[in-house]
Amino acid sequence: MGQKCSQFTEEELQDYQDLTYFTKKEVLQVHQKFKNLAPERVGHNRNAKLPMNKVLQYPELRVNPFGDRICKIFSSSHDGDCTFEDFLDMMSVFSETAPTAVKAEHAFRIFDFDGDDMLGVADLREVIDRLIGPHRLTDSEMAYLVQNMLAEADLDDDGALSFAEFEHVIDKSPDFSSVFKIHL
Amino acid sequence: MVHRQGTGTNLPLVQMIRNLKDKAENSSFSLNPFAERAAWSPGTEMSGGERKKRTPRGTGWEEAGGEFYQESYPGAELDLEALPRDPHYFATLLPSKQNRAATTRKPSKVDNKATYRRRTSTRQRNTNTMGQNTIPNDIQVAMMPDLSENLANEETTWEEMMLIKAMPVTMAQKKEIKAKLLSADTFRMQGMRRLKWRRRKLWEYLKVRWKEFHTRIELWRSSFQKMDGRFGPAITSFFTFIKWLMLLNIVVALIISSFIILPTAVMEEREEECLPTNQTSTSIPCCSQLYMEHNSSLAAPSAVFEVLQGSGWLDRTLLFYGYYTYTPLINGSIYYDLPVAYVFTFMSVFLLCFFTILKSGSVGFKERLIESEGQYYKFCSLVFSGWDFCLHSDKGTSAKHKALFLEMKEHIEQERREDDKKNRSRDECCRTLLTRLSMKILVKLIFAAASSLIYFTIQFAYTELQTDDYTDEYRLLLEYMPALSIVGVNLVVPNILHYLVTLEGYSPLNTQRMVLLRNLLLRFSTICVLLVSIHSLVGCSIGPNDACVSHSCRTPLCWETFAAQQILKIVVVDFLAQIGITFFINFPRMLLARHVRCKLTKVMCLQEFDIFKHLVDVVYIQFLVWLSSFIMPLMPALGALLLFVLFYVKKFACMVNSMPSSTTLYRVRKSTSLYLLVLLGTFFAAMGPVIFAAVTLEPSRSCGPLRGQRTYASLVESTYRSFPTWIQNGATIITSSTVAFPTLVFLWLLFYYYYILTRENRQMVIVLKKQLVLEGHDKQFLLNRLSAFIKQHQERHKPARSIDPPIANSA
Repeated sequence: MGQKCSQFTEEELQDYQDLTYFTKKEVLQVHQKFKNLAPERVGHNRNAKLPMNKVLQYPELRVNPFGDRICKIFSSSHDGDCTFEDFLDMMSVFSETAPTAVKAEHAFRIFDFDGDDMLGVADLREVIDRLIGPHRLTDSEMAYLVQNMLAEADLDDDGALSFAEFEHVIDKSPDFSSVFKIHL
Repeated sequence: MVHRQGTGTNLPLVQMIRNLKDKAENSSFSLNPFAERAAWSPGTEMSGGERKKRTPRGTGWEEAGGEFYQESYPGAELDLEALPRDPHYFATLLPSKQNRAATTRKPSKVDNKATYRRRTSTRQRNTNTMGQNTIPNDIQVAMMPDLSENLANEETTWEEMMLIKAMPVTMAQKKEIKAKLLSADTFRMQGMRRLKWRRRKLWEYLKVRWKEFHTRIELWRSSFQKMDGRFGPAITSFFTFIKWLMLLNIVVALIISSFIILPTAVMEEREEECLPTNQTSTSIPCCSQLYMEHNSSLAAPSAVFEVLQGSGWLDRTLLFYGYYTYTPLINGSIYYDLPVAYVFTFMSVFLLCFFTILKSGSVGFKERLIESEGQYYKFCSLVFSGWDFCLHSDKGTSAKHKALFLEMKEHIEQERREDDKKNRSRDECCRTLLTRLSMKILVKLIFAAASSLIYFTIQFAYTELQTDDYTDEYRLLLEYMPALSIVGVNLVVPNILHYLVTLEGYSPLNTQRMVLLRNLLLRFSTICVLLVSIHSLVGCSIGPNDACVSHSCRTPLCWETFAAQQILKIVVVDFLAQIGITFFINFPRMLLARHVRCKLTKVMCLQEFDIFKHLVDVVYIQFLVWLSSFIMPLMPALGALLLFVLFYVKKFACMVNSMPSSTTLYRVRKSTSLYLLVLLGTFFAAMGPVIFAAVTLEPSRSCGPLRGQRTYASLVESTYRSFPTWIQNGATIITSSTVAFPTLVFLWLLFYYYYILTRENRQMVIVLKKQLVLEGHDKQFLLNRLSAFIKQHQERHKPARSIDPPIANSA
């Protein structure tokens, strides 16, 4: 490993291994990927803070309609700029070994655009809008979709999905864990 | 009241004062529903793991209580800005509405907008005045073992450390928690417990190492990742299925080789010789000798032709049933009854396949069942698990957007279509019915035509082959004629079927299902025709004038090997056809579509990866493997090899030839369960003829391990007879009516019990759902009242607040 190792001490790697779903080797891989985003800055300071548009150049995030949300959720300064540790956190949650409950928790925060800890009608509309990208649904179609989603999942009928309700949905949709992952 | 924080070594004084006041508050301010909950501190009533789980939410409660306490007590620290104007804010304070992120999330700056952020910041100030550096205070509370109840030992500390990674906090905070845990006082464990813990740690360590090792050696891992990136995990699931099928075949091949092939290859066989003096010419040894002589007399001109025809010396190899001996194998003192081993190995292999499929599919099958009952989050899972986060190609992304869009449209349309169906006039109804009926008849006719074409080709080929005076090339053509006709039909007819289905006007999902079903039926029926023609050669009973085989039917001397050769030819031709189509037809099509700027070529040549079409190809190979593995023991090994190559062929078809599909949205789990369902159907389709043959047909007398038996199954019977009597008696008792009938009744009662239980539960679900809605309404109502009340209260105490300084500052 030699050169790759030089930016981290063994204890730091052990820390990262204990605190994420990665092995030491994978942590180094993640760092390599992080470095590739901005070689000159990360080369100087391994924990450099990269602005959001740099982080969004990561292939999976670039095409992801929720890319900016993901950055904001994981950014320790809440503005989308990510340090390596934020990035590592993100990759750890998206790794294959992370349990579904952890993924669901982050997915909820990603979908919760207004940050009120509820997925309201506006949040759901935004999610659908981002999912279909350049295509557009008419207002009535959108309303129909949102209404059906709420009818399915909003158990206490308060017009928004709470985390518990969201978790329930995720439990019942088996695809979630296979979809909510990013390969190293 | 024992507060959790109070139990630790570091107790913030302010907090304690607040807690005491909280307690006093209980009696005086009972109107506040939160006050009671605030006094309830997590960890006092609950024990063990439950506490750990609840605590983060508990802190939310506690703080909410603090909030109210501040309101009612002029003089306590209080900030009007932070007070909620809107009952909605209270809703977010409820434990049921919180994820752990909300309670553990830390603001970087003091943020007055949201109440909980405000709360945490006050808390932080409090703790800081005590000179403590506990930023992740809430979490620390959650994580710190409660020393008053049970002192932490190394093991629990370690366990909690493993839990940190699941927390939705930043890495810096995680590190801090870890440091905190490590620095806290712990009991050293001793004796057995220490040993156990050590073992657990070692086990975890080994698991990590194994994971590392596994990712490095895992077959096709990078291919799967590449596909994930371009097409999404649903397409990858198809390739995972191919891999799974290949592994199944490898396991089966290993079992077969260790119990059948290896003993035959290693040990020597002693077949009786045919002595004309004391044996009739139709005895087993004489028939065997006849077959051997026949084989050596059949001299094909070159090895190439022999291999292509699969006859000649190939007949006498381990590949075919005919090679295996009917006498026990002897090697020194070891005695190995090959015929019995042969039959029982195959029985267990087929059972193994059956249960493996059932087990892998059980979850998926259950989900399908639930879904068909309508208890499924159709819209929610479409939206929440809609995006493939591992996608990274632009084409894949735009296709995904479009597929999601179409799927949503389809969901919306579905209801409209159902409405249409109700409102459809009688004329329209008749028209659709008539179209579908005529199409169905047409499809049946096509099936009949295809089957008869194959039948006559096969008959022609067999009669022609009786005479010997042909050139080798023509002979080879005749030999391959059945296989060519079957594969040809398999290639041409599906296209027609596909076109016809689109005319019938089903919904897209049903159209796909229809195509899949009809394609499978076509494949099975063509093979069925072949089996019927083989049966017409074999099914005759041996007459008095016949020596070893029935002459009136023109049965081959070793018909099992003959049938195996027929199937082998189909496998080979089918496989070559797939390679040919992928590389010589679809690949040029793709090139045309990509490089010629013309609308027509774009329409004609652009391809999407249609999973169902490729699924039929894969399953067909497996069908042939299962069908012929009894008469061709090496077939599973060959099947594994073919699937290995097929993986690359299909990968080429997917990655190079096809565009990401924008018309169909494949779902991972749903597709996987579909593959297994189709595979299960295929398994039954293959087992049907095998079991039929095993029960009714007589093994040929000249070859194979079962020569001389009445039927294939009769060996099982005679082996059973040779079991010790107590086993036989036991079996007789179990299967006798005195035992079987009560068992049946019991099972029926059990079934009925569960049926009743399910019905009741379903009823209960409905009732509880209604209850939940009511509770929600109640809560909404109470929150509204509460916020109104608070507003009132606020206005009354406004002047008092400005006089008293906050307690935190004075402390």
